[in-house]
Amino acid sequence: MAHASLQLAEEALVGAVRLGDERALERLYRLHYPMVAQMVRTNSGSDDEAKDIYQETVIVFYEKLLQPEFVLTCQVKTYLYAVARRLWLKRLAERNRFATPFADTETWPPDNVVAETPRDERWAFGQEQRYHQMEASLLQLGEPCRSLLEGFYLRDRSMTELMNEHGYANTDTAKTQKYKCLARLRKLFFATWRPTEDDDDYNR
Amino acid sequence: MSYTELPPSDELLERYERGELADAQRAAFEERLLTDPSLSGRLRDYREVMAGLRLVAQRRALREKLVAIQARIDGPASAATRASSLASTEKFVVVGQPAESARPVPMAEPVIPAARPLLRASWVNPARALWRAHRTTMAVAASVAILSAFSTLYLTAVWKNYQRQSSNGYALLRREVEKIKRTQTAIIRDINASSSANNVVGDDNASPAASFSGSGFALSSNGFLVTSYHVVKDADSLLVEGGPLHQRYRATTVYRDEARDIAILRITDRRFHTLGRLPYTFKKTTADLGERVYTLGYPREDVVYGEGALASKTGFQGDTSFYQVSVPVNPGNSGGPLLDDRGNLIGIISGRQLDVQSAAFAVKSTALLHLLANLPADDTARVHPDLPRTSQLTGVRRPDQIKRLQDFVFVVKVYN
Repeated sequence: MAHASLQLAEEALVGAVRLGDERALERLYRLHYPMVAQMVRTNSGSDDEAKDIYQETVIVFYEKLLQPEFVLTCQVKTYLYAVARRLWLKRLAERNRFATPFADTETWPPDNVVAETPRDERWAFGQEQRYHQMEASLLQLGEPCRSLLEGFYLRDRSMTELMNEHGYANTDTAKTQKYKCLARLRKLFFATWRPTEDDDDYNR
Repeated sequence: MSYTELPPSDELLERYERGELADAQRAAFEERLLTDPSLSGRLRDYREVMAGLRLVAQRRALREKLVAIQARIDGPASAATRASSLASTEKFVVVGQPAESARPVPMAEPVIPAARPLLRASWVNPARALWRAHRTTMAVAASVAILSAFSTLYLTAVWKNYQRQSSNGYALLRREVEKIKRTQTAIIRDINASSSANNVVGDDNASPAASFSGSGFALSSNGFLVTSYHVVKDADSLLVEGGPLHQRYRATTVYRDEARDIAILRITDRRFHTLGRLPYTFKKTTADLGERVYTLGYPREDVVYGEGALASKTGFQGDTSFYQVSVPVNPGNSGGPLLDDRGNLIGIISGRQLDVQSAAFAVKSTALLHLLANLPADDTARVHPDLPRTSQLTGVRRPDQIKRLQDFVFVVKVYN
């Protein structure tokens, strides 16, 4: 009975998060933070690293929820733990620490196994690549291109605003500049990486 | 602006994607898209870039929200400190403060206690952070350091001990008394204590077990004894055990000759009076090869007899102060008397060679006499006033020799 109602509550919470309810997101975040923090701290991570990992974890989960075909096959807790575990192991490997055995703070592997199909994994991998490639490209782009493009495409600011901010004579000059910047961004973006065909059908 | 005037630029793509083209332009664009693969390729690239930008926008926005939530979990105090280190400072603080009051109350209950340690932990000083980050490495490094330090110390000690015990295959024959033998001593001591309580010297029940033991024999009837120098080398106190009643006496070292491994002890105990006439004489010349020799000593708690022949007139590595004898000797035999058939004392057992079968070494009696002759004038008389001229052991059967000799051979126990 209690379990069923818990499941219902969880489904409702996930549904709300899916619809963009920020209070639901906060609730979800608060609910599972101690678990992930515990896992990271047990495995030689700091509090800040725990926060970082947990936020990345929630972002992965959130993006997954935005996929219309995504169905959660296990408890949120289990899913988050699985993702956080994977991310933290990766981080530890990058740090090239002494290979201490990983101490799980939750049952692992969990009873209701997180069903990650190879397709899911490829998608997650492609998503990561895309994100990092874009961030790196934006960084390489330099000013004023970066703030111009970020202002227009990321923050949805109007051309007029940007024109004033950057001191262009008129919107046309600003536009021309923006397209030049976009062309450069495209070059940087595709310079070292190109999405595979497989990623493509997932894309939108 | 008609379609034909527009170059196939990013602007066109963007306007198409954003649905800003008029119907006619749009139709023309789509038609061209079907026939012009380069255009469709560029559209794909454009979409890819936009997808990337959208992803970045989405993640940044979400991250901002989560950072704000985290700040609320951590509390307003640490939010202020954290805010300075974040790029989106203004927004972060603005979001953080008013939301404090708007926090959903029921949620706060289960989460806050668990989050408590974090509140403190966010004030972590750099040293502690460093410890956290590297404790595994530190622990391993520390263990390795400790382990290597102790193993080095241990091995150094073992090596030193080994070198001392067997410098070039030569072993001194003082006995290190082990624990089991200690208990044995204690039992014997108890028996002695109960049977002849008056004769026992000192507070015997409380006396600790000896660290080393060796043998010794009487030099004179007034309580001077001879033993090996290495037996009494590091002694804090000495006990000798022997005499007709097998009594225990305190003794001190009065003379020593380190090179020839001889020490002269004196029984200092008040209960001691005299040993009576010595049954043996001290041989003033070097004994001959092939002489049948024997010794009495205390390699165990009880006296042990060993016999053999005089094998060489020189000792280890040609040392002329020593004989080599083929008498089986063991640790504890050191300081024991070496006698010939006629009951002349010809030497003092000192050591043995480890890598040679049955090669024991004894200091020549001439070395002992040399030491005695070189003592200060009045001491010479004091130490051996009555060196017997004739041996009582000549022409006596070996067992009878030993019976008479036995009372003049002592156990020397060394405490340190």
